[in-house]
Amino acid sequence: MLPAIMLDNVSLSYHSMDGETKAVSELSFSVSEGEFVSVVGPSGCGKSTILSMLAGLLTPEKGSVTIEGNIGYMLQKDHLLEWRSIRKNALLGLEIQKKVTKEEEAYVDMLLKQYGLWEFRNHAPSQLSGGMRQRAALIRTLAVQPDILLLDEPFSALDYQTRLSVADEIGKIIRKERKTALLVTHDISEAISLSDRVIVLSARPATVKNIYEITLSTEEKSAMKAREAPEFREYFNKIWKELDVHV
Amino acid sequence: MSNGKTPKAISKEQQSYFKNIRAYRRKIKWTRWILLLLFFVLWQTATQLKWIDSFIFSSPIGMWQAAVELVKSGILWQHLAVTIGETMVGFLLGTALGTALAVLLWWNSFLSDVLEPYLVVLNALPKTALAPIIIVWIGNNVTSIITVALLTSVVVTIMTVLEGFCRVEEEKIKLIRIFGGNKAQILTKVVLPDNVPCIVNALKINVGLSFVGVIVGEFLVAKMGLGYLITYGSQIFKMDWVLLSVILLAVLAALMYQMIVSLEKRILKRRNQ
Repeated sequence: MLPAIMLDNVSLSYHSMDGETKAVSELSFSVSEGEFVSVVGPSGCGKSTILSMLAGLLTPEKGSVTIEGNIGYMLQKDHLLEWRSIRKNALLGLEIQKKVTKEEEAYVDMLLKQYGLWEFRNHAPSQLSGGMRQRAALIRTLAVQPDILLLDEPFSALDYQTRLSVADEIGKIIRKERKTALLVTHDISEAISLSDRVIVLSARPATVKNIYEITLSTEEKSAMKAREAPEFREYFNKIWKELDVHV
Repeated sequence: MSNGKTPKAISKEQQSYFKNIRAYRRKIKWTRWILLLLFFVLWQTATQLKWIDSFIFSSPIGMWQAAVELVKSGILWQHLAVTIGETMVGFLLGTALGTALAVLLWWNSFLSDVLEPYLVVLNALPKTALAPIIIVWIGNNVTSIITVALLTSVVVTIMTVLEGFCRVEEEKIKLIRIFGGNKAQILTKVVLPDNVPCIVNALKINVGLSFVGVIVGEFLVAKMGLGYLITYGSQIFKMDWVLLSVILLAVLAALMYQMIVSLEKRILKRRNQ
């Protein structure tokens, strides 16, 4: 399959008066079309930097980034705008790209219906639960019909229980919509249960330490079911050791 | 949505709690009115018993007679209207211009970095000190008065609104950028709407400041307005006029402030409906 995302020997440093911080160093990996790939690494290892480069918010100092298709980006927090209704929030991206047409609006309405937010379309974001808000944020991202989704720890702001079910749900939605997805997380279980491949990064500056192909013996790819697979523990332990977490 | 109250059965304890609160609030309200009444009664008594000279201290009855006289001649309304008009124009222009300049400085960070120390100095400077200069430049007219009113509020508006702009969450700006939004869209979709409360708050501050500017302006050049009435009254020793004007000014300022507060409530309610 064609690579949808390709990073080739990418390096980037942050500059401040206190000096230079190497965030990413000679990083290379690729994600195929339709694949769900997670990137795990110790905190502060430059995971978000990678997403910012893919989204075109940062330009690498060395190496090249190739993207085949439109990008959709999901942030850590939902950042729904309080002065807009849920539906208006979902339309934000289209509005910015000046693509609000009857058909696009109908598509957003369809997404709202399909993912259980239609009744809440005229509500203010603060009237919704954390999980619903995150779903609304996903619809806002899907509204512009991206081919590739970049997910920057989109579940980390939720409490543990909500987090499991929202991750499961959003994973299902992404598979159903057949999107290529790159998820950045520090949660190893989340990475294993959602992805086809897990890329383990080193501490800063980020380089690829190892890549795991995830094959689980559960018939359906559900984040909740995945945790029950016997292979799950194995992957978890391997990645855990690799991350070399010192407490 | 339920607010935790059960409308049907209010317990005895809850009832007596409500009763206590209501009684306390009533007590505060009445004490406030009584205090005001006492003040005027004491003032009147003091002048009638010659503790103080009503010629220089005026008296409530004297003020009342002055008010009746001025209302009858129809001139009080004109003075009031002039002061209200100038203040309104002053604070609306001050807020609008201040917000526009804040947008400019937010847009161009080089400009705002360069101008920062000047803004700090201008903010600290009592703007009324500029009034005589403005009058020399613009002339003996209403435009001068409004300009002074505008000057008193514009700098503080720039500073508060710009601070509000800079406090917008970085991630919200990122949200616009990841959809490919440009700077104008960051401004209109996030920065401005996020700062509506901040701008309304600036309006609130500016009502009071604008009154200061208008009264000082009227002291210096006006032929009309409460500020004129105050200086003119003091020059011809009509202290009834002077104190009446001061009291009217207090009432006016309070009313305008309340107007902005209720406007603020309505705006915030509409935003969060």
